[in-house]
Amino acid sequence: MADSYKPVDPDRPDLDEGTNVVRAHAAVLADNAAVVRERRVRENGLEPVSLWVIVSSAFALLVAGAVLNAGGALFSYGEYKVDGYVQAAAPGGGDEGPYTAPMIDALSKNGAKIYAKCAGCHGPDGMGDGAQFPPLGGSEWVTGDTQRLAMIIMNGVQGEISVKGRTWNGNMPSQMVLNDVELASVMTYLRNNFGNSTGDIVTPEMAGAALELYKERADGAAVAPQVTEAELNADHGKMLSGEVIDPATIVDLETLQPVEAAGAAE
Amino acid sequence: MATDSDSIQHADPDLRPAIDRSLRHPVMFFFTSAAAWLAVALVLGIIASAKSHAPEFMGNIGWLLYGKSQAAHLNTLVYGWGCQAAFGIIIWLMARLSRKECRNPGTILVAGHVWNFAVLFGVIGILSGQGTGVPWMEFPSAVWPVLLISYVFIMVGSVVQFRCKEGGHTYISQWYLLGAIVWFPWVYATSNLLIFTFDGHPLMDAAINSWFKSTFILLFFVPVGVGAAYYLAPKVTGRPVHSYSLAQMGFWALAVIGPWTGMQKLTGAPIPQFLPYVGAAATVLFFIPAVTVAVNILKTVSGHNTTISASPTLRFMIAGIIGLLVLGSIGVCLNFPSSIKYAQFSFAGYGYEILAMYGFFSMCAFATMYFVVPRITRREWLSRRFIRWHFYLSIYGMSTIVICTIGGGLLQGAAQEYWNMPWSDAATRGYAYGWGTTVSWLFILFANIFFLLHLLLMWARLGRRSQHPTLLSKHTSESPHGPEGDIDEIQAANA
Repeated sequence: MADSYKPVDPDRPDLDEGTNVVRAHAAVLADNAAVVRERRVRENGLEPVSLWVIVSSAFALLVAGAVLNAGGALFSYGEYKVDGYVQAAAPGGGDEGPYTAPMIDALSKNGAKIYAKCAGCHGPDGMGDGAQFPPLGGSEWVTGDTQRLAMIIMNGVQGEISVKGRTWNGNMPSQMVLNDVELASVMTYLRNNFGNSTGDIVTPEMAGAALELYKERADGAAVAPQVTEAELNADHGKMLSGEVIDPATIVDLETLQPVEAAGAAE
Repeated sequence: MATDSDSIQHADPDLRPAIDRSLRHPVMFFFTSAAAWLAVALVLGIIASAKSHAPEFMGNIGWLLYGKSQAAHLNTLVYGWGCQAAFGIIIWLMARLSRKECRNPGTILVAGHVWNFAVLFGVIGILSGQGTGVPWMEFPSAVWPVLLISYVFIMVGSVVQFRCKEGGHTYISQWYLLGAIVWFPWVYATSNLLIFTFDGHPLMDAAINSWFKSTFILLFFVPVGVGAAYYLAPKVTGRPVHSYSLAQMGFWALAVIGPWTGMQKLTGAPIPQFLPYVGAAATVLFFIPAVTVAVNILKTVSGHNTTISASPTLRFMIAGIIGLLVLGSIGVCLNFPSSIKYAQFSFAGYGYEILAMYGFFSMCAFATMYFVVPRITRREWLSRRFIRWHFYLSIYGMSTIVICTIGGGLLQGAAQEYWNMPWSDAATRGYAYGWGTTVSWLFILFANIFFLLHLLLMWARLGRRSQHPTLLSKHTSESPHGPEGDIDEIQAANA
């Protein structure tokens, strides 16, 4: 059937229909009533476009333009913040200036995160493993002079070292990837946790002094040599220099700068 | 044309049944399995919607928790019902419009079965907790390549038919259908690759996902529905398309605007800020192709009031086209800079998707099925009453869902903006609307149980053998066709 087929008007789709009554009836009898019933259509209507279509399309264009305008410069991949989209805080509710805490808490909180690196050897409870890695809780190296502690953390330790009445012979690598705030945080954390409670804080200024010492000791090399027990006791048995700050001083959590007492109400 | 020779003039009535016969198995397979998946999607939709206002409803059934049932509901609605209905429509319309018989019904059938099993596997995956959690792409990520490959085998025949058609003219429906055929794999493969295969930034994955949902609707379901409407309106009324140039303008407007939509869902998120606003503007602009198509088709059928009220096809098609118009208008309202935030995190976004999938696409798909099924089964629809129930329950259910989800969603969004009030206030505002949505889904479920039953009876070839179509007006003995005739009786009388 289809092989001999040629369309009436090949340029047009199959919308037309010829109606030969005899054939149509034959087709009906052959079960194709629904197909034969299909209407004849000339496809290309050429009515003019309604004015309302144009007007409403123009309205949509106008609205879309306003939306685009609200979005700022097109294709500027660096702009991330839509002005005015996120609500500003109303007076009396919501975001009340900087978040604050006593300085010892602020530093210890940071220090706890950094300690995750130390916990691999010294244990999450700060008690070492009893064989190779000495404990930090109750350790005189931790609770004693801050400069010795700082030198241990920054340089690492080599050779025998006596901790809590026992001699350890491990090899602690340098942890010198810390900046002053991080060093101050982790030192404050160590000195006030795991059963230690010196009650004082190591300020970022003190840690900065320790970093200076480290640089002097490295003497131009990228990495300073590890310290030994003898060197620690001989050269570093003192507190780090810097202004002593009351641990309860209220500071901004982000900047660690003291804030006015008025803003500290929690 | 009447001057052409008789033998050529009468070729089409011979060719049409040949095309229909060649396609009857694949098309019926897609239509019936689509309708069955629709019923599944509706049951899941009712469960999910009920949980939004009554969380304890079926609360102890782990595999039906909201996160699973809502995901399964949308994925069965889209891939089980929507895609398969679209496949049936595309392969039938493309063959008819290109005047080519289907040469590979077996391939299509096999690929169709693969598609169904993949959807089934995906739904089981979602319900057993293996879903990906990416909206509209929740199927376990092993499923999408299978769907894509079976899609290629389902569609390749239609592309070949289009390429091999005689004559250079392309009818507007063919533009739309070919667009849908090409755009689906682009949108689907791009999104799935970027989200599941390549290691992108999770925030950008969320943006791509919202682009996917929007373009899937606007570049696949919309062109299929509109293509079907451009075929049915002239075919049933016997009138040419109102303005052919307007029709072409509508197509190209959709093709240009569609790909930009979607990212407005992420307004305020730290992605380059112009992206959401381009998405919002494009969704506003979608009003232009929508109004173009709607005016063109409604003008084509206007004046044929008796035909419209009598023909199931035209009724459903007009309802669908009005759905398209509403979709375009709501797109304008929801994407104005000051209103995006109300729709962003509320029911309203869901309402927009459901309006597109059911209020527009499904109504056009039903229209096409009411037209196609009698031709390929060579039986007439059995029951006027079933069709009427299907129609009225559908439009009442759909209108209520749109009002509840979009109206309730906006109220919910407004309540969310009072950020110093408890969040539960916003949920409380949506409570009544959640009830409304559940009840309307029940309406739509009843509608489609009638439809599924009707379709299965037709599939079993239990339809009426008559020369008279099943119209929604009463058949009388004064019918221009003469008294209601049964083909068997006529044949007996002639013998």
